[in-house]
Amino acid sequence: MYRQGDVLIVALEESAVPPNLLDAPGELRDGRGRLVLALGEVTGHAHAVPGPGRLIREGGVFGPMLLHLPDGGRVVHEEHAVIPLPKGWFRVVRQREYAPGAVRIVAD
Amino acid sequence: MEYVDSWRAVAAATGAADRSAAEDGVRLAYRSAGLAEPEEFVWADSPRAAVGLVRKLNDAGRSVREEVRTRPWAEERRRMYDELGPAGWSALWSATGAQLWETTAALAERIRAGVVAERTEPGELAERGEPPEGEAEVLQPEDESEIRLLLLDAVLGQHDAAWLAAFDGRGDRLDGLAAVARNAGWWWPYERTVVISERPEALHRDEAGRLDRGDGPALSYRDGFALYAWRGMPVPADFLAELTALTPERIRAEENAELRRVMLEFYGYDRYLTESGAEPVHRDETGILWRIALDGDEDVVMVEVVNSTPEPDGTYRTYWLRVPPTTRTAKDGVAWTFGLQGESYAPVRQT
Repeated sequence: MYRQGDVLIVALEESAVPPNLLDAPGELRDGRGRLVLALGEVTGHAHAVPGPGRLIREGGVFGPMLLHLPDGGRVVHEEHAVIPLPKGWFRVVRQREYAPGAVRIVAD
Repeated sequence: MEYVDSWRAVAAATGAADRSAAEDGVRLAYRSAGLAEPEEFVWADSPRAAVGLVRKLNDAGRSVREEVRTRPWAEERRRMYDELGPAGWSALWSATGAQLWETTAALAERIRAGVVAERTEPGELAERGEPPEGEAEVLQPEDESEIRLLLLDAVLGQHDAAWLAAFDGRGDRLDGLAAVARNAGWWWPYERTVVISERPEALHRDEAGRLDRGDGPALSYRDGFALYAWRGMPVPADFLAELTALTPERIRAEENAELRRVMLEFYGYDRYLTESGAEPVHRDETGILWRIALDGDEDVVMVEVVNSTPEPDGTYRTYWLRVPPTTRTAKDGVAWTFGLQGESYAPVRQT
Protein backbone atom coordinates (compact mmCIF):
# COMPACT_ATOMS: atom_id res chain seq x y z
CA MET A 1 0.00 0.00 0.00
CA TYR A 2 1.46 3.34 -1.10
CA ARG A 3 0.19 6.85 -0.70
CA GLN A 4 0.98 9.93 -2.73
CA GLY A 5 -1.05 12.87 -1.43
CA ASP A 6 -4.73 12.23 -2.09
CA VAL A 7 -4.15 8.98 -3.97
CA LEU A 8 -3.75 5.55 -2.35
CA ILE A 9 -2.26 2.69 -4.37
CA VAL A 10 -3.05 -0.75 -2.95
CA ALA A 11 -1.24 -3.87 -4.20
CA LEU A 12 -3.60 -6.62 -5.41
CA GLU A 13 -3.08 -10.31 -6.04
CA GLU A 14 -3.67 -11.05 -9.70
CA SER A 15 -6.32 -13.56 -8.58
CA ALA A 16 -8.27 -10.65 -7.03
CA VAL A 17 -8.52 -8.81 -10.34
CA PRO A 18 -11.96 -9.31 -11.93
CA PRO A 19 -11.35 -11.75 -14.83
CA ASN A 20 -13.08 -9.52 -17.37
CA LEU A 21 -10.61 -6.72 -16.56
CA LEU A 22 -7.39 -8.76 -16.95
CA ASP A 23 -7.29 -7.99 -20.66
CA ALA A 24 -9.53 -4.94 -20.71
CA PRO A 25 -8.35 -2.03 -22.86
CA GLY A 26 -6.51 0.55 -20.82
CA GLU A 27 -7.02 4.29 -20.54
CA LEU A 28 -5.27 6.39 -23.15
CA ARG A 29 -2.14 8.26 -22.08
CA ASP A 30 -2.02 12.02 -21.76
CA GLY A 31 -0.19 14.40 -24.11
CA ARG A 32 3.06 13.65 -22.25
CA GLY A 33 2.65 9.89 -22.67
CA ARG A 34 1.69 9.23 -19.04
CA LEU A 35 -1.05 7.23 -17.37
CA VAL A 36 -2.96 9.78 -15.30
CA LEU A 37 -4.25 8.40 -11.98
CA ALA A 38 -5.75 11.74 -10.87
CA LEU A 39 -5.65 15.23 -12.33
CA GLY A 40 -6.03 18.60 -10.64
CA GLU A 41 -8.61 20.47 -12.71
CA VAL A 42 -7.12 23.92 -12.20
CA THR A 43 -3.34 23.51 -11.76
CA GLY A 44 -3.14 20.56 -14.15
CA HIS A 45 -0.89 18.80 -11.62
CA ALA A 46 -1.27 15.05 -11.97
CA HIS A 47 -0.53 11.83 -10.12
CA ALA A 48 0.86 9.92 -13.10
CA VAL A 49 2.83 6.86 -14.18
CA PRO A 50 5.28 7.68 -16.99
CA GLY A 51 6.55 4.19 -17.95
CA PRO A 52 5.02 1.02 -19.38
CA GLY A 53 1.78 -0.24 -17.86
CA ARG A 54 -1.96 -0.09 -18.16
CA LEU A 55 -4.66 1.78 -16.28
CA ILE A 56 -8.17 0.33 -16.28
CA ARG A 57 -11.14 2.34 -15.12
CA GLU A 58 -13.73 0.27 -13.30
CA GLY A 59 -16.39 2.96 -13.43
CA GLY A 60 -17.07 6.59 -12.68
CA VAL A 61 -14.82 9.53 -13.33
CA PHE A 62 -13.21 9.39 -9.88
CA GLY A 63 -12.41 5.71 -9.95
CA PRO A 64 -11.81 3.18 -8.63
CA MET A 65 -9.16 2.19 -11.12
CA LEU A 66 -6.83 -0.74 -11.56
CA LEU A 67 -3.18 -0.25 -12.46
CA HIS A 68 -1.12 -3.03 -14.02
CA LEU A 69 2.65 -2.61 -14.04
CA PRO A 70 4.17 -5.77 -15.58
CA ASP A 71 7.69 -4.42 -15.02
CA GLY A 72 7.10 -2.18 -12.02
CA GLY A 73 7.20 1.60 -12.35
CA ARG A 74 6.90 4.87 -10.47
CA VAL A 75 4.25 7.44 -9.61
CA VAL A 76 5.17 11.07 -10.08
CA HIS A 77 3.50 14.36 -9.12
CA GLU A 78 4.60 17.99 -9.36
CA GLU A 79 4.38 18.51 -5.59
CA HIS A 80 5.08 15.09 -4.11
CA ALA A 81 8.16 12.86 -4.02
CA VAL A 82 8.30 9.99 -6.53
CA ILE A 83 7.04 6.60 -5.32
CA PRO A 84 8.62 3.50 -6.89
CA LEU A 85 6.22 0.57 -7.32
CA PRO A 86 7.05 -3.14 -7.69
CA LYS A 87 5.61 -5.10 -10.61
CA GLY A 88 2.05 -6.33 -10.30
CA TRP A 89 -1.55 -5.16 -10.01
CA PHE A 90 -2.78 -2.25 -7.91
CA ARG A 91 -6.06 -0.62 -7.02
CA VAL A 92 -5.92 3.17 -7.20
CA VAL A 93 -8.17 4.94 -4.68
CA ARG A 94 -8.84 8.68 -4.66
CA GLN A 95 -9.16 10.26 -1.23
CA ARG A 96 -12.62 11.44 -0.22
CA GLU A 97 -14.03 13.64 2.48
CA TYR A 98 -17.21 13.33 4.44
CA ALA A 99 -19.92 15.89 3.86
CA PRO A 100 -23.29 15.41 5.53
CA GLY A 101 -25.59 13.81 3.00
CA ALA A 102 -22.80 13.42 0.44
CA VAL A 103 -19.19 12.42 -0.01
CA ARG A 104 -16.73 14.70 -1.76
CA ILE A 105 -13.42 13.90 -3.33
CA VAL A 106 -10.37 15.65 -1.95
CA ALA A 107 -8.28 17.89 -4.16
CA ASP A 108 -4.76 18.39 -2.79
CA MET B 1 -6.18 12.22 -25.07
CA GLU B 2 -4.07 14.87 -26.77
CA TYR B 3 -7.24 16.83 -27.47
CA VAL B 4 -8.61 16.72 -23.95
CA ASP B 5 -6.37 19.41 -22.53
CA SER B 6 -7.21 21.89 -25.27
CA TRP B 7 -10.93 21.24 -24.77
CA ARG B 8 -10.47 21.51 -21.02
CA ALA B 9 -9.13 25.00 -21.70
CA VAL B 10 -12.06 25.79 -24.02
CA ALA B 11 -14.57 24.80 -21.32
CA ALA B 12 -12.89 27.12 -18.80
CA ALA B 13 -12.13 29.98 -21.22
CA THR B 14 -13.02 33.51 -20.15
CA GLY B 15 -12.81 36.90 -21.82
CA ALA B 16 -14.29 38.53 -24.86
CA ALA B 17 -15.56 36.32 -27.67
CA ASP B 18 -13.90 36.42 -31.07
CA ARG B 19 -17.16 37.47 -32.68
CA SER B 20 -16.18 37.12 -36.31
CA ALA B 21 -14.60 33.67 -35.77
CA ALA B 22 -17.70 32.56 -33.86
CA GLU B 23 -20.04 33.88 -36.57
CA ASP B 24 -17.99 32.09 -39.24
CA GLY B 25 -18.37 28.93 -37.17
CA VAL B 26 -22.13 29.36 -37.02
CA ARG B 27 -22.33 29.88 -40.80
CA LEU B 28 -20.27 26.74 -41.34
CA ALA B 29 -22.52 24.76 -38.98
CA TYR B 30 -25.62 25.93 -40.93
CA ARG B 31 -24.05 25.04 -44.29
CA SER B 32 -22.93 21.63 -42.98
CA ALA B 33 -26.54 21.02 -41.94
CA GLY B 34 -27.76 21.90 -45.44
CA LEU B 35 -29.37 25.16 -44.27
CA ALA B 36 -29.12 28.68 -45.60
CA GLU B 37 -26.79 30.84 -43.52
CA PRO B 38 -28.53 32.97 -40.86
CA GLU B 39 -29.25 36.58 -41.86
CA GLU B 40 -28.62 38.18 -38.51
CA PHE B 41 -26.44 37.74 -35.41
CA VAL B 42 -27.56 39.26 -32.11
CA TRP B 43 -24.89 39.32 -29.41
CA ALA B 44 -25.68 39.24 -25.69
CA ASP B 45 -23.36 39.83 -22.74
CA SER B 46 -24.45 36.70 -20.86
CA PRO B 47 -26.78 33.70 -21.15
CA ARG B 48 -29.20 35.63 -18.94
CA ALA B 49 -29.25 38.55 -21.37
CA ALA B 50 -29.47 36.13 -24.30
CA VAL B 51 -32.61 34.54 -22.87
CA GLY B 52 -34.14 38.01 -22.60
CA LEU B 53 -33.32 38.70 -26.25
CA VAL B 54 -34.60 35.33 -27.43
CA ARG B 55 -37.93 36.01 -25.73
CA LYS B 56 -38.27 39.24 -27.69
CA LEU B 57 -37.50 37.72 -31.12
CA ASN B 58 -40.51 37.82 -33.43
CA ASP B 59 -39.25 37.18 -36.94
CA ALA B 60 -36.42 34.73 -36.36
CA GLY B 61 -38.01 31.62 -37.83
CA ARG B 62 -38.11 28.25 -36.13
CA SER B 63 -35.34 26.80 -33.96
CA VAL B 64 -32.88 24.80 -36.04
CA ARG B 65 -30.97 23.37 -33.11
CA GLU B 66 -31.99 19.85 -34.09
CA GLU B 67 -30.47 20.16 -37.60
CA VAL B 68 -27.46 22.23 -36.62
CA ARG B 69 -26.36 20.46 -33.48
CA THR B 70 -28.32 17.45 -32.30
CA ARG B 71 -28.64 15.44 -35.51
CA PRO B 72 -25.02 15.83 -36.70
CA TRP B 73 -23.83 14.99 -33.21
CA ALA B 74 -25.98 11.85 -33.03
CA GLU B 75 -24.94 10.74 -36.50
CA GLU B 76 -21.26 11.24 -35.76
CA ARG B 77 -21.65 9.30 -32.55
CA ARG B 78 -23.34 6.47 -34.42
CA ARG B 79 -20.65 6.47 -37.11
CA MET B 80 -17.86 6.26 -34.56
CA TYR B 81 -19.70 3.66 -32.49
CA ASP B 82 -20.05 1.45 -35.60
CA GLU B 83 -16.41 2.01 -36.47
CA LEU B 84 -14.95 1.44 -33.00
CA GLY B 85 -17.41 -1.03 -31.51
CA PRO B 86 -18.95 -0.74 -28.03
CA ALA B 87 -15.67 -1.25 -26.14
CA GLY B 88 -13.75 1.08 -28.45
CA TRP B 89 -16.34 3.83 -28.15
CA SER B 90 -16.47 3.40 -24.41
CA ALA B 91 -12.67 3.63 -24.18
CA LEU B 92 -12.64 6.73 -26.38
CA TRP B 93 -15.35 8.45 -24.34
CA SER B 94 -13.65 7.51 -21.10
CA ALA B 95 -10.35 9.01 -22.31
CA THR B 96 -11.90 12.18 -23.71
CA GLY B 97 -15.41 13.40 -22.96
CA ALA B 98 -15.77 11.67 -19.61
CA GLN B 99 -12.77 13.64 -18.30
CA LEU B 100 -14.62 16.90 -18.84
CA TRP B 101 -18.24 15.85 -18.49
CA GLU B 102 -18.86 16.18 -14.76
CA THR B 103 -17.39 19.63 -14.32
CA THR B 104 -18.87 21.19 -17.47
CA ALA B 105 -22.29 19.60 -17.04
CA ALA B 106 -22.42 20.83 -13.44
CA LEU B 107 -21.36 24.32 -14.50
CA ALA B 108 -23.97 24.48 -17.28
CA GLU B 109 -26.66 23.36 -14.84
CA ARG B 110 -25.63 26.05 -12.36
CA ILE B 111 -25.83 28.67 -15.09
CA ARG B 112 -29.31 27.46 -16.08
CA ALA B 113 -30.46 27.60 -12.46
CA GLY B 114 -28.95 31.08 -12.09
CA VAL B 115 -30.71 32.36 -15.20
CA VAL B 116 -34.05 30.91 -14.10
CA ALA B 117 -33.68 32.42 -10.62
CA GLU B 118 -32.75 35.88 -11.87
CA ARG B 119 -35.19 35.95 -14.76
CA THR B 120 -38.10 35.31 -12.43
CA GLU B 121 -37.11 37.86 -9.81
CA PRO B 122 -39.22 40.96 -9.12
CA GLY B 123 -37.05 43.28 -11.24
CA GLU B 124 -37.81 41.32 -14.35
CA LEU B 125 -41.53 41.25 -13.67
CA ALA B 126 -41.55 45.00 -13.06
CA GLU B 127 -39.72 45.49 -16.36
CA ARG B 128 -42.62 43.80 -18.08
CA GLY B 129 -45.15 45.97 -16.27
CA GLU B 130 -46.08 43.40 -13.67
CA PRO B 131 -45.30 44.87 -10.25
CA PRO B 132 -44.07 42.31 -7.73
CA GLU B 133 -46.71 41.42 -5.18
CA GLY B 134 -44.54 40.13 -2.40
CA GLU B 135 -42.24 37.19 -2.17
CA ALA B 136 -44.87 34.49 -2.58
CA GLU B 137 -45.69 35.78 -6.07
CA VAL B 138 -42.12 36.21 -7.26
CA LEU B 139 -41.87 32.84 -8.98
CA GLN B 140 -44.27 32.67 -11.87
CA PRO B 141 -44.53 29.00 -12.82
CA GLU B 142 -45.44 29.75 -16.44
CA ASP B 143 -42.47 32.11 -16.83
CA GLU B 144 -40.15 29.64 -15.20
CA SER B 145 -41.10 26.79 -17.49
CA GLU B 146 -40.84 29.05 -20.54
CA ILE B 147 -37.35 30.11 -19.52
CA ARG B 148 -36.34 26.52 -18.82
CA LEU B 149 -37.51 25.53 -22.30
CA LEU B 150 -35.58 28.39 -23.88
CA LEU B 151 -32.48 27.30 -21.99
CA LEU B 152 -32.90 23.79 -23.37
CA ASP B 153 -32.92 25.30 -26.87
CA ALA B 154 -29.39 26.61 -26.42
CA VAL B 155 -26.29 25.15 -27.99
CA LEU B 156 -23.79 25.33 -25.15
CA GLY B 157 -20.75 26.51 -27.09
CA GLN B 158 -17.70 26.21 -24.85
CA HIS B 159 -19.68 24.03 -22.42
CA ASP B 160 -20.18 21.40 -25.11
CA ALA B 161 -16.43 20.76 -24.79
CA ALA B 162 -16.83 17.22 -23.43
CA TRP B 163 -18.40 15.73 -26.53
CA LEU B 164 -16.49 17.96 -28.93
CA ALA B 165 -13.32 16.53 -27.34
CA ALA B 166 -14.52 13.00 -28.10
CA PHE B 167 -15.17 13.81 -31.77
CA ASP B 168 -12.10 15.99 -32.33
CA GLY B 169 -9.77 14.78 -35.06
CA ARG B 170 -12.24 12.23 -36.42
CA GLY B 171 -13.95 14.13 -39.19
CA ASP B 172 -14.87 17.64 -40.22
CA ARG B 173 -18.62 17.52 -39.93
CA LEU B 174 -18.68 19.23 -36.53
CA ASP B 175 -16.05 21.85 -37.35
CA GLY B 176 -18.59 24.67 -37.31
CA LEU B 177 -19.84 23.76 -33.83
CA ALA B 178 -16.25 23.38 -32.63
CA ALA B 179 -15.31 26.81 -34.01
CA VAL B 180 -18.18 28.48 -32.15
CA ALA B 181 -17.25 26.63 -28.96
CA ARG B 182 -13.67 27.84 -29.17
CA ASN B 183 -14.72 31.45 -29.63
CA ALA B 184 -17.97 32.15 -27.79
CA GLY B 185 -20.48 31.09 -25.17
CA TRP B 186 -24.01 29.70 -25.49
CA TRP B 187 -26.01 30.30 -28.67
CA TRP B 188 -29.53 29.94 -29.96
CA PRO B 189 -29.89 28.99 -33.64
CA TYR B 190 -33.06 30.04 -35.48
CA GLU B 191 -33.68 30.01 -39.22
CA ARG B 192 -32.92 33.69 -39.77
CA THR B 193 -31.42 34.87 -36.50
CA VAL B 194 -28.76 33.59 -34.14
CA VAL B 195 -28.60 34.91 -30.58
CA ILE B 196 -25.15 34.32 -29.19
CA SER B 197 -23.63 35.03 -25.79
CA GLU B 198 -20.25 36.27 -24.70
CA ARG B 199 -18.15 34.02 -22.48
CA PRO B 200 -17.77 34.73 -18.75
CA GLU B 201 -15.36 37.45 -17.67
CA ALA B 202 -14.18 35.44 -14.70
CA LEU B 203 -14.35 31.82 -13.59
CA HIS B 204 -12.91 30.64 -10.28
CA ARG B 205 -12.82 26.94 -9.45
CA ASP B 206 -11.10 24.69 -6.94
CA GLU B 207 -8.82 21.83 -7.86
CA ALA B 208 -11.78 19.49 -8.24
CA GLY B 209 -13.27 21.88 -10.82
CA ARG B 210 -16.11 23.13 -8.62
CA LEU B 211 -17.13 26.79 -8.55
CA ASP B 212 -15.25 28.30 -5.64
CA ARG B 213 -14.48 31.82 -4.49
CA GLY B 214 -14.54 33.38 -1.05
CA ASP B 215 -14.36 37.08 -1.91
CA GLY B 216 -16.57 37.63 -4.94
CA PRO B 217 -18.50 35.85 -7.66
CA ALA B 218 -17.08 32.49 -8.74
CA LEU B 219 -18.51 33.05 -12.21
CA SER B 220 -19.30 36.45 -13.69
CA TYR B 221 -20.31 37.89 -17.05
CA ARG B 222 -19.73 41.45 -18.25
CA ASP B 223 -23.35 42.51 -17.68
CA GLY B 224 -23.17 41.56 -14.02
CA PHE B 225 -24.83 38.15 -14.23
CA ALA B 226 -22.92 36.16 -11.61
CA LEU B 227 -22.92 33.00 -9.53
CA TYR B 228 -21.51 32.76 -6.02
CA ALA B 229 -20.21 29.50 -4.61
CA TRP B 230 -17.86 28.12 -2.03
CA ARG B 231 -16.30 24.77 -2.99
CA GLY B 232 -19.19 24.16 -5.32
CA MET B 233 -21.93 25.03 -2.86
CA PRO B 234 -24.14 27.93 -4.01
CA VAL B 235 -24.15 30.77 -1.48
CA PRO B 236 -25.92 34.16 -1.43
CA ALA B 237 -23.75 37.08 -2.62
CA ASP B 238 -24.04 39.01 0.65
CA PHE B 239 -23.09 35.91 2.64
CA LEU B 240 -19.53 36.12 1.30
CA ALA B 241 -19.09 39.69 2.52
CA GLU B 242 -19.73 38.45 6.03
CA LEU B 243 -17.15 35.67 5.87
CA THR B 244 -14.15 37.91 6.45
CA ALA B 245 -15.54 39.09 9.80
CA LEU B 246 -16.53 35.70 11.24
CA THR B 247 -16.24 34.77 14.90
CA PRO B 248 -16.79 31.38 16.56
CA GLU B 249 -19.92 32.86 18.18
CA ARG B 250 -21.33 33.92 14.81
CA ILE B 251 -20.65 30.44 13.40
CA ARG B 252 -22.41 28.78 16.33
CA ALA B 253 -25.36 31.16 15.93
CA GLU B 254 -25.91 30.41 12.22
CA GLU B 255 -29.07 28.33 11.94
CA ASN B 256 -28.66 27.17 8.34
CA ALA B 257 -26.50 24.05 8.63
CA GLU B 258 -25.20 24.30 5.06
CA LEU B 259 -24.08 27.88 5.49
CA ARG B 260 -22.57 27.06 8.89
CA ARG B 261 -20.44 24.39 7.20
CA VAL B 262 -19.24 26.94 4.67
CA MET B 263 -18.43 29.34 7.50
CA LEU B 264 -16.46 26.64 9.28
CA GLU B 265 -14.47 25.78 6.17
CA PHE B 266 -13.80 29.43 5.41
CA TYR B 267 -12.84 30.29 8.97
CA GLY B 268 -10.58 27.26 9.15
CA TYR B 269 -11.25 24.22 11.28
CA ASP B 270 -7.87 24.63 12.95
CA ARG B 271 -8.59 28.21 14.00
CA TYR B 272 -12.07 27.30 15.14
CA LEU B 273 -10.71 24.38 17.14
CA THR B 274 -8.15 26.58 18.85
CA GLU B 275 -10.49 29.46 19.59
CA SER B 276 -13.39 27.33 20.74
CA GLY B 277 -11.12 25.38 23.08
CA ALA B 278 -11.83 21.99 21.46
CA GLU B 279 -9.89 19.00 22.77
CA PRO B 280 -8.52 16.21 20.58
CA VAL B 281 -10.51 13.00 20.90
CA HIS B 282 -7.83 10.55 19.80
CA ARG B 283 -4.26 10.54 18.62
CA ASP B 284 -2.17 7.89 16.86
CA GLU B 285 0.57 7.49 14.25
CA THR B 286 -1.73 8.60 11.40
CA GLY B 287 -2.88 11.87 12.96
CA ILE B 288 -5.26 13.45 15.48
CA LEU B 289 -9.04 13.11 15.67
CA TRP B 290 -11.10 16.18 16.65
CA ARG B 291 -14.80 16.57 17.40
CA ILE B 292 -16.91 19.74 17.48
CA ALA B 293 -20.43 19.43 18.85
CA LEU B 294 -22.96 21.67 17.12
CA ASP B 295 -26.47 22.42 18.36
CA GLY B 296 -29.14 20.99 16.10
CA ASP B 297 -26.65 19.37 13.71
CA GLU B 298 -24.47 16.30 13.68
CA ASP B 299 -21.01 16.65 15.21
CA VAL B 300 -18.17 17.76 12.99
CA VAL B 301 -15.48 15.07 13.27
CA MET B 302 -12.13 15.62 11.59
CA VAL B 303 -8.77 14.00 11.26
CA GLU B 304 -5.75 16.26 11.39
CA VAL B 305 -3.07 14.88 9.13
CA VAL B 306 0.47 16.06 8.48
CA ASN B 307 1.46 16.09 4.81
CA SER B 308 4.25 13.62 4.09
CA THR B 309 6.11 15.79 1.61
CA PRO B 310 7.78 18.90 3.04
CA GLU B 311 6.97 22.32 1.59
CA PRO B 312 9.79 24.15 -0.23
CA ASP B 313 10.76 25.86 3.04
CA GLY B 314 11.14 22.51 4.83
CA THR B 315 7.97 22.80 6.93
CA TYR B 316 5.17 20.26 6.81
CA ARG B 317 1.65 21.33 5.93
CA THR B 318 -1.12 20.19 8.24
CA TYR B 319 -4.59 19.64 6.85
CA TRP B 320 -7.98 18.56 8.10
CA LEU B 321 -10.37 16.12 6.51
CA ARG B 322 -13.93 15.72 7.66
CA VAL B 323 -14.95 12.10 8.36
CA PRO B 324 -18.24 10.48 9.44
CA PRO B 325 -19.38 11.40 12.95
CA THR B 326 -19.20 7.73 14.02
CA THR B 327 -15.40 7.70 13.60
CA ARG B 328 -13.59 6.76 16.84
CA THR B 329 -9.86 6.86 16.06
CA ALA B 330 -7.58 8.95 13.85
CA LYS B 331 -6.52 5.86 11.91
CA ASP B 332 -10.13 4.84 11.29
CA GLY B 333 -10.72 8.36 9.99
CA VAL B 334 -7.77 8.38 7.58
CA ALA B 335 -8.64 4.85 6.41
CA TRP B 336 -12.24 5.96 5.77
CA THR B 337 -11.03 8.72 3.44
CA PHE B 338 -9.69 5.93 1.23
CA GLY B 339 -12.69 3.65 1.62
CA LEU B 340 -10.89 1.27 4.00
CA GLN B 341 -11.30 -0.07 7.55
CA GLY B 342 -8.76 1.20 10.07
CA GLU B 343 -7.08 -2.19 10.53
CA SER B 344 -6.35 -2.57 6.81
CA TYR B 345 -4.81 0.90 6.34
CA ALA B 346 -1.02 0.59 6.39
CA PRO B 347 0.94 2.46 3.69
CA VAL B 348 4.55 1.28 3.44
CA ARG B 349 5.52 4.55 1.80
CA GLN B 350 3.93 8.01 1.76
CA THR B 351 4.88 11.23 -0.01
